[in-house]
Amino acid sequence: MGSVERSRKKVQLWKKAIVHFMLCFVMGFFTGFAPTGKSSIFSSRVSVSNRSDFSPQPLEVLQYQSKFQSYNRSLLDGSPAAVPEATSKSDRDAYDDHHPPKISKEEENEGDLIPRKLVIIVTPTSMKDTRRGVLLRRLANTLRLVPQPLLWVVVEQQSDSDEASEILRKTGIMYRHLVFKENFTDMRAEMDHQINVALSHIEHHRLSGIVHFAGLSNVYDLSFFDEIRAIEAFGTWPMAFLSANRKKVNIEGPVCESSEVMGWHLKNSSNLSTDTMKPAIHVSGFAFNSSVLWDPERWGRTSSAQDTSQDSLKFVKKEVLEEETQLKGIPSDDCSKVLLWNLDISHSSVKKMVTDKR
Amino acid sequence: MRNWRWGLIGIVFLAFVIRTEAWKFSKAQHEHTERISGSAGDVLEDDPVGRLKVFVYELPSKYNKKILQKDPRCLTHMFAAEIYMHRFLLSSPVRTLNPEEADWFYTPVYTTCDLTPNGLPLPFKSPRMMRSAIQLISSNWPYWNRTEGADHFFIVPHDFGACFHYQEEKAIERGILPLLQRATLVQTFGQRNHVCLKDGSITIPPYAPPQKMQAHLIPPNTPRSIFVYFRGLFYDVGNDPEGGYYARGARASVWENFKDNPLFDISTEHPTTYYEDMQRAIFCLCPLGWAPWSPRLVEAVIFGCIPVIIADDIVLPFADAIPWEEIGVFVAEKDVPKLDTILTSIPTEVILRKQRLLANPSMKQAMLFPQPAQSRDAFHQILNGLARKLPHDRSTFLKPGEKILNWTAGPVGDLKPW
Amino acid sequence: MKLTALQQQSRRSNSFRGSSPLDSSMDGAIKSPVTIFWLVLHGLCCLISLVLGFRFSRLVFFLLFSNTSNTMTSTNLYSTSSFGNPSEPLAFQSTLGAVTSTSTSLPAMNFTTTAASGTSSSRVVVGRHGILIRPWPHPNPAEVMMAHRLIERVQREQRMQYGVKNPRAVIAITPTYVRTFQTLHLTGVMHSLMNVPYDLVWIVVEAGAVTNETASLLAKSGLTTIHVEYGKKMPILWEDRHKLEAKMRLHALRLVREKKLDGIVIFADDSNMHSMELFDEIQNVNQFGAVSVGILAHSGGDGEDETAVAQKEEEKNSGLPVQGPACNSSNHLVGWQTFNSATFMERSARYVGDRAIVLPRKMEWAGFVLNSRLVWRDAEDKPEWVRDLDEVAADEEDVESPLSFVKDASVVEPLGSCGRKVMIWWLRVEARADSKFPAGWVINPPLDVTVPAKRTPWPDAPPELPLPAGEKAVVLQEIAEKHATKTRSPRKRRSKRKHAIRTIDERVSTRHAGEN
Repeated sequence: MGSVERSRKKVQLWKKAIVHFMLCFVMGFFTGFAPTGKSSIFSSRVSVSNRSDFSPQPLEVLQYQSKFQSYNRSLLDGSPAAVPEATSKSDRDAYDDHHPPKISKEEENEGDLIPRKLVIIVTPTSMKDTRRGVLLRRLANTLRLVPQPLLWVVVEQQSDSDEASEILRKTGIMYRHLVFKENFTDMRAEMDHQINVALSHIEHHRLSGIVHFAGLSNVYDLSFFDEIRAIEAFGTWPMAFLSANRKKVNIEGPVCESSEVMGWHLKNSSNLSTDTMKPAIHVSGFAFNSSVLWDPERWGRTSSAQDTSQDSLKFVKKEVLEEETQLKGIPSDDCSKVLLWNLDISHSSVKKMVTDKR
Repeated sequence: MRNWRWGLIGIVFLAFVIRTEAWKFSKAQHEHTERISGSAGDVLEDDPVGRLKVFVYELPSKYNKKILQKDPRCLTHMFAAEIYMHRFLLSSPVRTLNPEEADWFYTPVYTTCDLTPNGLPLPFKSPRMMRSAIQLISSNWPYWNRTEGADHFFIVPHDFGACFHYQEEKAIERGILPLLQRATLVQTFGQRNHVCLKDGSITIPPYAPPQKMQAHLIPPNTPRSIFVYFRGLFYDVGNDPEGGYYARGARASVWENFKDNPLFDISTEHPTTYYEDMQRAIFCLCPLGWAPWSPRLVEAVIFGCIPVIIADDIVLPFADAIPWEEIGVFVAEKDVPKLDTILTSIPTEVILRKQRLLANPSMKQAMLFPQPAQSRDAFHQILNGLARKLPHDRSTFLKPGEKILNWTAGPVGDLKPW
Repeated sequence: MKLTALQQQSRRSNSFRGSSPLDSSMDGAIKSPVTIFWLVLHGLCCLISLVLGFRFSRLVFFLLFSNTSNTMTSTNLYSTSSFGNPSEPLAFQSTLGAVTSTSTSLPAMNFTTTAASGTSSSRVVVGRHGILIRPWPHPNPAEVMMAHRLIERVQREQRMQYGVKNPRAVIAITPTYVRTFQTLHLTGVMHSLMNVPYDLVWIVVEAGAVTNETASLLAKSGLTTIHVEYGKKMPILWEDRHKLEAKMRLHALRLVREKKLDGIVIFADDSNMHSMELFDEIQNVNQFGAVSVGILAHSGGDGEDETAVAQKEEEKNSGLPVQGPACNSSNHLVGWQTFNSATFMERSARYVGDRAIVLPRKMEWAGFVLNSRLVWRDAEDKPEWVRDLDEVAADEEDVESPLSFVKDASVVEPLGSCGRKVMIWWLRVEARADSKFPAGWVINPPLDVTVPAKRTPWPDAPPELPLPAGEKAVVLQEIAEKHATKTRSPRKRRSKRKHAIRTIDERVSTRHAGEN
């Protein structure tokens, strides 16, 4: 009796085991059909491309995936992520065949590669200003000294003249020369449009960096560019406005305690925009992280603010003033040092001044 | 069957190893001079005069001049080489008026000059036209029937060469025009293992306007401040709304992966400073479009911008004379997402060497079809290529009574008279 | 999305490993080594079958794929093409029926590109391809830096190949003094000089005394600077000012002579602006050269008439007014192009702060470059047409321009396509002489303190203004608005900067690049 019981039990046990095995097999079988898609196309390709064997290596894939995941996470944190070393050596890459010792060379130079944040300088310029050639050169001389990476976005109205492109070309700075077709009579409207053209370029390309609008009449202390690289979201600083044959130097900008902006200093109250009672900040008086433009969710707000108007500049200005908690005063100790001077000597500006007065 | 295939693979591999060894050897010898290493450099300097004789058939002008008169736009498009080559040969010293002493026979048919109102060369009539021209020469002269075209060459610069269709699938379906199966084809199209590329074809650069390019040259000391430059389509929405057909997805991949990279100056907008910008770029992307080649190849070489060739198995113009491997960078289509890593990890010395080679005027010269012709230009390279095929193989000439070509092969539509 | 799916997958397999022994332990309550062994064996077998199943599925997949692909839609292919690239070409090929493919056996698929040369059929993949998008969204910053280093290297190589061979050093002479506009002006010139790819010595002559204000500015440049003082204060009248500046420049030239500095001397006023091409162009000078200077006449006032006049002048010359060498069509120097100051004579500024156009001198110093050996005491190959520095300096009051150095103006070498190309610009714009600015541009006390209109917390700038009769300027009392959320008590005024008048002493400071 016992033996029968036992044998029955044994059979049952075997059955159970076989069922388990089957289950596992089926499980494995279906895992084989498991997910596919764009990202895994690439990743699984990379992981198997060194093998002539076509059989997949699930474990390798998984490892690779988790690697990517950590990258994604670090990107969300806003810190720069490292890209994995290319694991596949393509036999089609010409240099690979002929120059095997490239890795050692790279390692040699690794030392002086300190990644820095991209600085995007936006400069609107107009043919109507006869002095823009020289001022463009002066600004270029300054930007040329800024540590890389820097991208200079110069915007102007489309014309037959290649003056600007010729000047820019000789500077050796990495620049994008954008043109637009619209015609403007009002200088201020034109400048706003120019800036918006630049901003839409940044948005379209999803360029990631610190954006600053550098007018041609600005003169910079080089440390300014180091300072703005430290900006997380928004940054602002005091700006000195010099004018010819005047006694007074106007300094406009934030008032800070350490790097926290406590308030604003403006030369007169008429600069307050009437609707918000917020100070109208000078266009060169602030910088911001470009992802505000193309990734508003990251900054904790819906994209609706942007959708409502095509005017990215207005949007950014509003953001700067609304987000005082994210606003960083520059230089970071107490934003009491002037690193940026403005002297308007362009003819158009003189004209504008005159017309404004009337 | 299987063994045979494995054997073949083995042979190919062996050949590859030997070739790379040869490269290494020649490199070692010529490292210090920045001349093109190996056999290639000298080939570019060759003078074809005296090495071959070409007989140019006199065809009724409806095959060439009349077509051009009808639409002079063909003088400026990418396929204009067929017209300029004809003009060049007429006045070239290699031309012979005595067909008996000719090594090569040339039939001047402008098959791609039949443009749509929009200026698109759609070669619907080309097969019939070509057929009609061949019929004409084979009945008026004895030379075609002697070889059935094996000592004749044709300029077929269209997208898919002598397949005569603008859509690749249709072109592949059609295959090379049956009557041209024995002839030597001179074409821009170059894709290894493709039905539209016959063995022994000469791949030439597309036509790019030399004077215009000359006018936009800027001093060579203009600092190169663009890392990667590209202007052109990423998606051909009109013809490929789904995406993934155009450029086999490679261009779309370039955009999706690198639009946000400040190092990649890429856009669909074509600026007025296009040529100047190329001259201040270090790398110029030359991805495939509908066909593997693009005029960017020519522009990049002329403007000293290292071409980054993204077109698997492309056959490059004058590949036997121009060391593309040395001057360009090849990136497999599947590696496009890694383009930044690939380009930034090229050692500086290698890049500088490529730039020095690109600065070599003979390389630039070989890419152009200048008017009037200059020594070592693309015309001469075509002749050099033809000269290198001489003397003709014994199989060129048919035995008496032998017939290989099937005059009734091909789609019925092609058989209609032109 | 995919990531999470795969993660789940891995989690699933993990749970399997853990749960299967647990299951079996339910019926075997007796813990003995044998049962444990069986349990382990059971688990192991489960795992093996899992792996087997996985492998099998892949195999089935491939078979399925190559046989039935004709019936599949291209979208299907697209989404399943992840299983190794070798299968991809084949699949596409057969789907779209582009050509008859002869190879269906698996090993041959790996060699589609290499092995195909024997067949006449096309191996080219025609049809839909995946658009490969990598999972990481942003460029690798390390690679960006690498690329920039490469660009820099390429540009250096270009300079080496196409640039000036055996360049001479550049000696820049700049007169300056501390004032509101100094930082703005000097920073601009400094940035130009910092970009010069050749050896450069910068002689800065400061009127009055060597100040920390200037020195700290120069320190930022990282250039080899010689900072000396000239013991006279900068006068307020433009006329006197030009004379003093000339003396300061001569003083710098004396230094060049004493130190036997070898190179090309340029006169860079602190308010000049430069095109970088200038520094390449001056390498062409043999002894004594002249370049064209663009004149940025600026009234600084807000009167419309000045602007209009200046504009007219500019339009007439189709661009900015220019001063410099004038050449004939065969590129020979025939004369000088001067700024037509006659039209502005009555409106020209007489003193600093005068709201009128500051006119350039007939010939500005900035438009001349010379071989430093010309001022050496005993240079070997000194041409006979050059006047000695001592001789020139003897009548200092009359030195208008470097042309005083040459006995015959025809020896001047016109540079910049014979003066047609403007590479240097002249601008004179200053604040009113009594203008004040925060020392070192550090705002102290902070801005949120109400600044009374008549009292400024900032130290005085050196010169005092002797107001001539009929002063036009109106002191605008601009009341600074306070927009602080918090008020703080004003801090103590900063102690006045010392004006220690020292005898002429030189401070030679050599700093190396990289400091900045």
